[in-house]
Amino acid sequence: MTDLHSARRRHVGRLLGRALLIAGLLVLANPPATAHAAGAGAAPSPTTPIDHFVFLMQENHTFDNYFGTRPGVDGIPPGTCMPVSRGRAEPCVKPFHLGELGSLDLDHTAEAFRVQYNNGRMDGFVEGVSTQGKDGKLAMAYYDDRDLPYYWNIADEYVLFDRFFSSSNSGSIRNHMFRVTGGPGAAGPSESIPAAGWGDIPTIFDRLEAAGISWKFYVENYDPTITFRSRTSAEDVDRGAQVIWVPLLGYARYVDDPRLFSKIVDLDQYYDDAAKGQLPAVSFIAPAGDSEHPPGSIRAGQNLVRTLVTQLMRSPDWDSSAFLWSYDDWGGWYDHVPPPQVDAYGYGFRVPALLVSPYARRGHVDSTTLDFTSVLKFIEVNWRLKPLAERDRKAKTFLDAFDFDRPPRPAVLLGTERTPPVVTRPDPVPVFASYAVTGSLVATLVGVAALRRRRWS
Amino acid sequence: MSMTRSSVEEMEHDRCAATVVLPPVAPSSVSRPGDTGQGHGRRRWATPSALVAIAALALYLRVWQLDALGFNSDEAVYAGQAASLAGNPNYTPFFPVFRAHPMLFQTLLSPFFRTGEVDVAGRVVVAVLGVATVLAVHLLGARLYGRRVGLVAALLVAVMPYHVIVTRQVLLDGPMVLFATLTLYCLVRFVQGQQVLWYVAAGGMLGLTMLTKETSIVLAGGVYAFLALTPTVRRPVRLSLLAVAAMAAVFATHPVSQAMAGRTQTGKSYLVWQLFRRPNHSMGFYLETVPPAMGLLVVAAAAGGLWWLRRHRSWRETLLLSWIAAPVLFFQLWPVKGFQYLLPAVAPVAVLAARALTGMPVPERLRRLLRRVDRVGVGPSRAVRTVRTAVLVVVALSLLVPSWHAVNRADNATFLAGSGGVPGGREAGRWLARNTPQGSVVLTLGPSMANIIQYYGHRRSYGLSVSPNPLRRNPSYEPLPNPDWWLRHNDLHYVVWDSFSAGRSAFFSERLMVLIRRYHGRVVHTEFVNGTDSTGARVPVPVIIIYEVRP
Repeated sequence: MTDLHSARRRHVGRLLGRALLIAGLLVLANPPATAHAAGAGAAPSPTTPIDHFVFLMQENHTFDNYFGTRPGVDGIPPGTCMPVSRGRAEPCVKPFHLGELGSLDLDHTAEAFRVQYNNGRMDGFVEGVSTQGKDGKLAMAYYDDRDLPYYWNIADEYVLFDRFFSSSNSGSIRNHMFRVTGGPGAAGPSESIPAAGWGDIPTIFDRLEAAGISWKFYVENYDPTITFRSRTSAEDVDRGAQVIWVPLLGYARYVDDPRLFSKIVDLDQYYDDAAKGQLPAVSFIAPAGDSEHPPGSIRAGQNLVRTLVTQLMRSPDWDSSAFLWSYDDWGGWYDHVPPPQVDAYGYGFRVPALLVSPYARRGHVDSTTLDFTSVLKFIEVNWRLKPLAERDRKAKTFLDAFDFDRPPRPAVLLGTERTPPVVTRPDPVPVFASYAVTGSLVATLVGVAALRRRRWS
Repeated sequence: MSMTRSSVEEMEHDRCAATVVLPPVAPSSVSRPGDTGQGHGRRRWATPSALVAIAALALYLRVWQLDALGFNSDEAVYAGQAASLAGNPNYTPFFPVFRAHPMLFQTLLSPFFRTGEVDVAGRVVVAVLGVATVLAVHLLGARLYGRRVGLVAALLVAVMPYHVIVTRQVLLDGPMVLFATLTLYCLVRFVQGQQVLWYVAAGGMLGLTMLTKETSIVLAGGVYAFLALTPTVRRPVRLSLLAVAAMAAVFATHPVSQAMAGRTQTGKSYLVWQLFRRPNHSMGFYLETVPPAMGLLVVAAAAGGLWWLRRHRSWRETLLLSWIAAPVLFFQLWPVKGFQYLLPAVAPVAVLAARALTGMPVPERLRRLLRRVDRVGVGPSRAVRTVRTAVLVVVALSLLVPSWHAVNRADNATFLAGSGGVPGGREAGRWLARNTPQGSVVLTLGPSMANIIQYYGHRRSYGLSVSPNPLRRNPSYEPLPNPDWWLRHNDLHYVVWDSFSAGRSAFFSERLMVLIRRYHGRVVHTEFVNGTDSTGARVPVPVIIIYEVRP
């Protein structure tokens, strides 16, 4: 019995050993799949119903420039007239509708901010532009629903933020770095991408990666050959902005690691992923020519946003998604709200920001003080991630813009008509009455004819 | 006048009479010698029983698998109008209440369309009106040639594919033919009784027919032709004017109700378009489609009867032929041809065929043969009855079989407008309603599919083939002058290709595919029907494909 028992144990042991060996070989043969499975298994579930968060950054407009005339928001105060020169009330420029007049790329450097902000007096918007040799009056121009019907329609149906500030009181590079790192990137007065890249500054994608949470950076007209290494010192070369607007292309570790680099993809991939219900948990989007950066067409930018939102609404992922877009800096345009100065870098002036989600409150104006790091805060809260920097640790988030107590709203594709065509239904009573009377009269006529037999003589 | 005179004798009497005055041909109430009470009772119930059976058969054919296919384009439009009139919020944005035609039928339908998506109820209403037409044909046939002809005519219409197919659809033609048949009946009553009221009633009923579909005004031409060709019928001018006034007064309901309801547009442009549009079918269209749908044997019987009963010719045949000739001639010459347009001819053709079948001569040789076959002995009249019954059965079966085939044919990759529902159309529309966001805008190949999509999908749809030139399009359709621009600006979100429209226009099919390729078309849904490949094996054939598009 003992021998038989031992033999069985040895047999079972051999079988177990072979099984472990085969499993080990399978793991070795297919490591990415195994790793992915392990990662997927470890990914924390979100703390809200939002499984897919999309963040698009457009370019260079202020809140007042886009929504300053919208009722119910903190818009352009009545009687506003911006002095041509700081400290002198007259002459001044009143806000005016820009419409199709055409715009310029207004100065939006740290120096322009300093002049326009004027230590909180907010009276240097015209001067800040005109000192650069451009028509300073242009800073006081605004757009409204005639020019941005889709955005205004979105604001009617979803959430518009009227105290959303750009993170940095300077131009694009720092704001984009705040967007992904919670910090300004390079410290000090320098506002350029270091020749060696951004080094080891942690990004939100590092956090996501470590937590096994899926992410992608979608780039319109993406050219993978343009990185911090290939970009010339002149930042305005053709498509050189790609490295600014996609800060990950300024990191050696993202550019050199094929796995990480493969997560920076062309925007076409967004449409495919959304259509198939394969959007990652966190998606960042960078535009190209449709960025609304003056003097680019704001209608083209609006069309891009509409296409992106439309695709999300058609996606199987819609019910668990949120789409937020904002503008990386103020672009030199007027905004009347003095930005709180929380540290040496900002805030900058207010920028437009809108949230579209099946959980977004309908027609809600959110007046929480937010900036780009509030988006990081939301991601960190939603997926239980550690903060990246002091800014995002302290930032408020926009959870109040959602109403998670209600079921997700079905998607509604909004058009570019501000006043939808009115369907006028004719009064049905005369129709029913006249046909009923006529039918009855003919029936009576036939009935009487059937009953009467008198012929004419 | 004897109440027991045969129909042939009545015809002979009419032919010889200076002024036509005929009382109704009522069932014989005179007992025959040797009748028992039981036999008399059976005969008394025979006609109603037969009529009920015919009506039941007619209803069965008209409602069997009524829901197998969704609406076609015209059905969608009329149902949409009815729903809009009823204030159904699903349809008011897509279907204006007033379009080209008067609103009698849509008004009748509208109580059934107050909420939700309705299609079967609308078709049931038409089916019931179709059965009513069968009964009206019986009245007409019995009034003209006796109750046997009436019953046979009712049977022929009950199972006739042409009438069965059309009265299974929410089209104006089915109800219109009911009123047209009643107009014919009123006219017959007028001719037989010379009562003013029947003349006026005929005018009023024709007005009602026109209120269902205004093209039925061509039947007035049939009345005129009959009166012109039949001088024996008295028709004082003042009475004719009275009848015309009744017709006009009834038809005036259409413009008056529109004006009272506050409609701003009129149907003038629609008439202009119809007058000058290009032909949609060849000149041989009706010859190819209508006789087979009426039944070749029925048409042959109707024509043959005119020959073999030529000695009994009377005003009746003139009336029926005039009634047939008016729409046939008009729509043959009219550039726009529709399968169902000749439906008013169904009743007179059926009556003529029934007359022919009940009065069909039987060769003496065949009678002798029958007597030899039956050893017990068949009398001459019984042999004739047997032959006529057998022929009638053959004719009825020749109608019933294709009708049965037609009502069971839910899977069909080809489609003729007016001949039934569109395979996959309803399902494609419902798929869009379920799976696309509200506010999605759809581009279809033609306006027909656009109507179907709007009805079932509740999504704004435009037909690519709708011309931007107002002289070249139906004024009811909204063109899309630059679909490329719309696609580029994200104003169109889905594109629907369908094989039925593609079969009509290869050019627009190719144009649509170009747009689909250009704007990243991605197939999101396909509707199939069963077809056969080159080897004869059954394969699914895609008939409707929905693409998601983006700039």
